Amino acid sequence: MPYLWLKAVHVAAVLLFIGGLFAQTFALAAAEATAPLARWDRLATVPAMLLVWVTGATIAVEAGWFASPWLWAKLAFVLALTGLHGIQSGKLRRLRRAGGEPSAATPALRVAAFIATAVASIAVLVVAKPF
Amino acid sequence: MPQQPPAGVAEDLAQIKRLRLASFVEATTLLVLVFVAVPLKHLFDYPLAVRLMGPVHGAAFIAYGWCLITTVSGGGWSRGEIARLGFAAFLPFGGFLNAGLLRRKRAALAEARA
Repeated sequence: MPYLWLKAVHVAAVLLFIGGLFAQTFALAAAEATAPLARWDRLATVPAMLLVWVTGATIAVEAGWFASPWLWAKLAFVLALTGLHGIQSGKLRRLRRAGGEPSAATPALRVAAFIATAVASIAVLVVAKPF
Repeated sequence: MPQQPPAGVAEDLAQIKRLRLASFVEATTLLVLVFVAVPLKHLFDYPLAVRLMGPVHGAAFIAYGWCLITTVSGGGWSRGEIARLGFAAFLPFGGFLNAGLLRRKRAALAEARA
Protein backbone atom coordinates (compact mmCIF):
# COMPACT_ATOMS: atom_id res chain seq x y z
CA MET A 1 0.00 0.00 0.00
CA PRO A 2 1.51 3.40 -0.93
CA TYR A 3 2.86 5.41 2.04
CA LEU A 4 0.41 8.32 1.72
CA TRP A 5 -2.64 6.03 1.69
CA LEU A 6 -1.24 4.07 4.66
CA LYS A 7 -0.73 7.36 6.57
CA ALA A 8 -4.28 8.51 5.71
CA VAL A 9 -5.78 5.25 7.04
CA HIS A 10 -3.58 5.49 10.17
CA VAL A 11 -4.62 9.08 11.03
CA ALA A 12 -8.30 8.22 10.44
CA ALA A 13 -7.96 5.16 12.71
CA VAL A 14 -6.26 7.19 15.49
CA LEU A 15 -9.00 9.83 15.37
CA LEU A 16 -11.74 7.19 15.52
CA PHE A 17 -10.09 5.34 18.39
CA ILE A 18 -9.57 8.46 20.50
CA GLY A 19 -13.06 9.70 19.67
CA GLY A 20 -14.53 6.34 20.69
CA LEU A 21 -12.57 6.37 23.94
CA PHE A 22 -13.89 9.84 24.85
CA ALA A 23 -17.45 8.86 23.90
CA GLN A 24 -17.17 5.74 26.07
CA THR A 25 -15.93 7.76 29.06
CA PHE A 26 -18.72 10.32 28.81
CA ALA A 27 -21.44 7.78 28.06
CA LEU A 28 -20.57 6.14 31.38
CA ALA A 29 -20.76 9.50 33.17
CA ALA A 30 -23.94 10.49 31.29
CA ALA A 31 -25.78 7.53 32.76
CA GLU A 32 -25.91 9.68 35.91
CA ALA A 33 -25.81 13.21 34.49
CA THR A 34 -24.69 15.10 31.39
CA ALA A 35 -23.14 17.99 33.37
CA PRO A 36 -19.51 16.73 33.05
CA LEU A 37 -19.99 16.39 29.30
CA ALA A 38 -21.34 19.97 29.06
CA ARG A 39 -18.29 21.22 30.97
CA TRP A 40 -15.88 19.22 28.77
CA ASP A 41 -17.67 20.51 25.68
CA ARG A 42 -17.20 24.13 26.80
CA LEU A 43 -13.58 23.74 27.97
CA ALA A 44 -12.13 21.36 25.38
CA THR A 45 -14.36 20.38 22.46
CA VAL A 46 -15.52 23.86 21.39
CA PRO A 47 -12.02 25.43 21.66
CA ALA A 48 -10.63 22.44 19.69
CA MET A 49 -13.28 22.96 17.02
CA LEU A 50 -12.43 26.67 16.74
CA LEU A 51 -8.73 25.77 16.56
CA VAL A 52 -9.48 23.27 13.79
CA TRP A 53 -11.18 26.01 11.72
CA VAL A 54 -8.54 28.70 12.36
CA THR A 55 -5.47 26.51 11.80
CA GLY A 56 -7.07 24.70 8.87
CA ALA A 57 -8.01 27.93 7.08
CA THR A 58 -4.53 29.38 7.74
CA ILE A 59 -2.79 26.30 6.33
CA ALA A 60 -5.06 26.28 3.27
CA VAL A 61 -4.46 29.97 2.56
CA GLU A 62 -0.68 29.72 3.01
CA ALA A 63 -0.44 26.64 0.80
CA GLY A 64 -2.82 28.08 -1.83
CA TRP A 65 -5.15 25.08 -1.58
CA PHE A 66 -8.44 26.95 -1.95
CA ALA A 67 -8.21 26.31 -5.70
CA SER A 68 -8.05 22.54 -5.15
CA PRO A 69 -11.27 20.46 -5.41
CA TRP A 70 -10.21 18.07 -2.64
CA LEU A 71 -10.18 20.96 -0.12
CA TRP A 72 -13.78 21.90 -0.93
CA ALA A 73 -14.86 18.27 -0.56
CA LYS A 74 -13.07 18.20 2.80
CA LEU A 75 -14.67 21.51 3.85
CA ALA A 76 -18.13 20.06 3.16
CA PHE A 77 -17.41 17.23 5.62
CA VAL A 78 -15.98 19.66 8.22
CA LEU A 79 -19.07 21.88 7.88
CA ALA A 80 -21.33 18.85 8.36
CA LEU A 81 -19.41 17.73 11.47
CA THR A 82 -19.50 21.27 12.90
CA GLY A 83 -23.26 21.40 12.29
CA LEU A 84 -23.69 17.97 13.90
CA HIS A 85 -21.85 19.21 17.00
CA GLY A 86 -24.24 22.17 17.19
CA ILE A 87 -27.33 19.95 16.84
CA GLN A 88 -26.11 17.51 19.48
CA SER A 89 -25.16 20.34 21.88
CA GLY A 90 -28.70 21.69 21.59
CA LYS A 91 -30.23 18.24 22.11
CA LEU A 92 -28.08 17.66 25.20
CA ARG A 93 -29.16 21.04 26.61
CA ARG A 94 -32.79 20.07 26.00
CA LEU A 95 -32.13 16.73 27.72
CA ARG A 96 -30.75 18.50 30.82
CA ARG A 97 -33.72 20.88 30.85
CA ALA A 98 -36.14 17.95 30.64
CA GLY A 99 -34.43 16.30 33.61
CA GLY A 100 -32.79 13.50 31.64
CA GLU A 101 -35.84 12.37 29.67
CA PRO A 102 -34.92 12.03 25.97
CA SER A 103 -37.55 13.64 23.70
CA ALA A 104 -37.10 11.21 20.82
CA ALA A 105 -35.01 8.16 19.98
CA THR A 106 -31.58 9.19 18.67
CA PRO A 107 -30.25 7.14 15.75
CA ALA A 108 -26.88 6.86 17.53
CA LEU A 109 -25.49 4.10 15.29
CA ARG A 110 -26.31 6.01 12.12
CA VAL A 111 -24.82 9.22 13.52
CA ALA A 112 -21.68 7.34 14.60
CA ALA A 113 -21.39 5.76 11.14
CA PHE A 114 -21.69 9.21 9.57
CA ILE A 115 -18.96 10.64 11.86
CA ALA A 116 -16.68 7.67 11.06
CA THR A 117 -17.23 8.04 7.31
CA ALA A 118 -16.68 11.82 7.43
CA VAL A 119 -13.50 11.58 9.53
CA ALA A 120 -12.05 8.82 7.34
CA SER A 121 -12.90 10.76 4.17
CA ILE A 122 -11.33 13.94 5.57
CA ALA A 123 -8.12 12.07 6.43
CA VAL A 124 -7.91 10.53 2.96
CA LEU A 125 -8.70 13.83 1.17
CA VAL A 126 -6.23 15.94 3.14
CA VAL A 127 -3.36 13.44 3.12
CA ALA A 128 -3.61 11.82 -0.31
CA LYS A 129 -5.15 14.86 -2.11
CA PRO A 130 -6.59 12.55 -4.78
CA PHE A 131 -8.04 15.31 -7.04
CA MET B 1 -33.26 34.89 48.86
CA PRO B 2 -33.55 35.11 45.03
CA GLN B 3 -34.75 31.95 43.33
CA GLN B 4 -32.15 30.27 41.14
CA PRO B 5 -33.38 29.18 37.68
CA PRO B 6 -33.27 25.45 36.87
CA ALA B 7 -29.93 24.46 35.30
CA GLY B 8 -31.46 23.81 31.86
CA VAL B 9 -33.22 27.21 31.70
CA ALA B 10 -30.08 29.05 32.86
CA GLU B 11 -28.18 27.29 30.06
CA ASP B 12 -30.81 28.33 27.51
CA LEU B 13 -30.56 31.96 28.66
CA ALA B 14 -26.75 31.84 28.40
CA GLN B 15 -27.01 30.27 24.94
CA ILE B 16 -29.30 33.06 23.66
CA LYS B 17 -26.83 35.59 25.08
CA ARG B 18 -24.02 33.88 23.12
CA LEU B 19 -26.13 33.95 19.95
CA ARG B 20 -26.76 37.70 20.43
CA LEU B 21 -23.02 38.28 20.70
CA ALA B 22 -22.28 36.09 17.66
CA SER B 23 -25.00 37.90 15.70
CA PHE B 24 -23.57 41.32 16.64
CA VAL B 25 -20.01 40.32 15.66
CA GLU B 26 -21.18 38.74 12.38
CA ALA B 27 -23.21 41.83 11.45
CA THR B 28 -20.42 44.23 12.39
CA THR B 29 -17.72 42.39 10.42
CA LEU B 30 -20.05 42.18 7.39
CA LEU B 31 -20.62 45.95 7.52
CA VAL B 32 -16.89 46.67 7.82
CA LEU B 33 -16.19 44.31 4.92
CA VAL B 34 -18.90 45.67 2.61
CA PHE B 35 -18.80 49.37 3.46
CA VAL B 36 -15.13 49.90 4.38
CA ALA B 37 -12.83 47.17 3.08
CA VAL B 38 -14.43 46.66 -0.37
CA PRO B 39 -14.57 50.43 -1.21
CA LEU B 40 -10.98 50.79 0.00
CA LYS B 41 -9.94 48.06 -2.43
CA HIS B 42 -11.87 49.25 -5.48
CA LEU B 43 -11.82 53.04 -5.03
CA PHE B 44 -8.43 53.54 -3.40
CA ASP B 45 -6.57 50.46 -4.67
CA TYR B 46 -5.94 49.27 -1.10
CA PRO B 47 -6.59 45.48 -1.06
CA LEU B 48 -5.09 44.78 2.39
CA ALA B 49 -8.35 45.60 4.22
CA VAL B 50 -10.29 42.97 2.22
CA ARG B 51 -7.51 40.41 2.70
CA LEU B 52 -7.78 41.01 6.45
CA MET B 53 -11.54 41.42 6.86
CA GLY B 54 -12.50 38.58 4.46
CA PRO B 55 -11.21 35.78 6.72
CA VAL B 56 -12.34 37.62 9.89
CA HIS B 57 -15.91 37.84 8.58
CA GLY B 58 -15.70 34.25 7.31
CA ALA B 59 -14.80 33.07 10.82
CA ALA B 60 -17.58 35.22 12.36
CA PHE B 61 -20.10 33.80 9.84
CA ILE B 62 -19.16 30.19 10.68
CA ALA B 63 -19.29 30.96 14.42
CA TYR B 64 -22.76 32.52 14.04
CA GLY B 65 -24.02 29.55 11.99
CA TRP B 66 -22.76 27.08 14.59
CA CYS B 67 -24.18 29.17 17.44
CA LEU B 68 -27.57 29.37 15.68
CA ILE B 69 -27.71 25.58 15.14
CA THR B 70 -26.72 24.98 18.79
CA THR B 71 -29.39 27.38 20.04
CA VAL B 72 -32.36 26.19 17.95
CA SER B 73 -31.52 22.50 18.45
CA GLY B 74 -32.37 23.04 22.12
CA GLY B 75 -36.02 23.43 21.10
CA GLY B 76 -38.63 26.18 21.58
CA TRP B 77 -38.07 27.93 18.22
CA SER B 78 -40.58 28.13 15.37
CA ARG B 79 -39.55 27.49 11.75
CA GLY B 80 -40.22 31.15 10.96
CA GLU B 81 -37.89 32.32 13.73
CA ILE B 82 -35.16 29.91 12.60
CA ALA B 83 -35.52 31.02 8.96
CA ARG B 84 -35.39 34.68 10.00
CA LEU B 85 -32.25 34.19 12.09
CA GLY B 86 -30.58 32.23 9.29
CA PHE B 87 -31.54 34.74 6.59
CA ALA B 88 -30.24 37.66 8.69
CA ALA B 89 -26.65 36.39 8.35
CA PHE B 90 -26.70 37.17 4.63
CA LEU B 91 -27.96 40.76 4.88
CA PRO B 92 -26.04 43.87 5.93
CA PHE B 93 -27.63 45.09 9.20
CA GLY B 94 -29.55 41.76 9.35
CA GLY B 95 -27.68 40.62 12.46
CA PHE B 96 -28.62 43.82 14.30
CA LEU B 97 -32.31 43.15 13.54
CA ASN B 98 -31.98 39.87 15.45
CA ALA B 99 -31.49 41.77 18.71
CA GLY B 100 -35.22 42.41 19.28
CA LEU B 101 -36.28 38.81 18.63
CA LEU B 102 -33.51 37.43 20.86
CA ARG B 103 -34.37 39.90 23.65
CA ARG B 104 -38.04 38.80 23.49
CA LYS B 105 -37.06 35.11 23.58
CA ARG B 106 -34.84 35.69 26.62
CA ALA B 107 -37.60 37.63 28.38
CA ALA B 108 -40.18 34.89 27.61
CA LEU B 109 -37.81 32.20 28.89
CA ALA B 110 -37.03 34.16 32.06
CA GLU B 111 -40.76 34.77 32.64
CA ALA B 112 -41.63 31.10 32.08
CA ARG B 113 -39.17 29.99 34.72
CA ALA B 114 -40.54 32.43 37.33
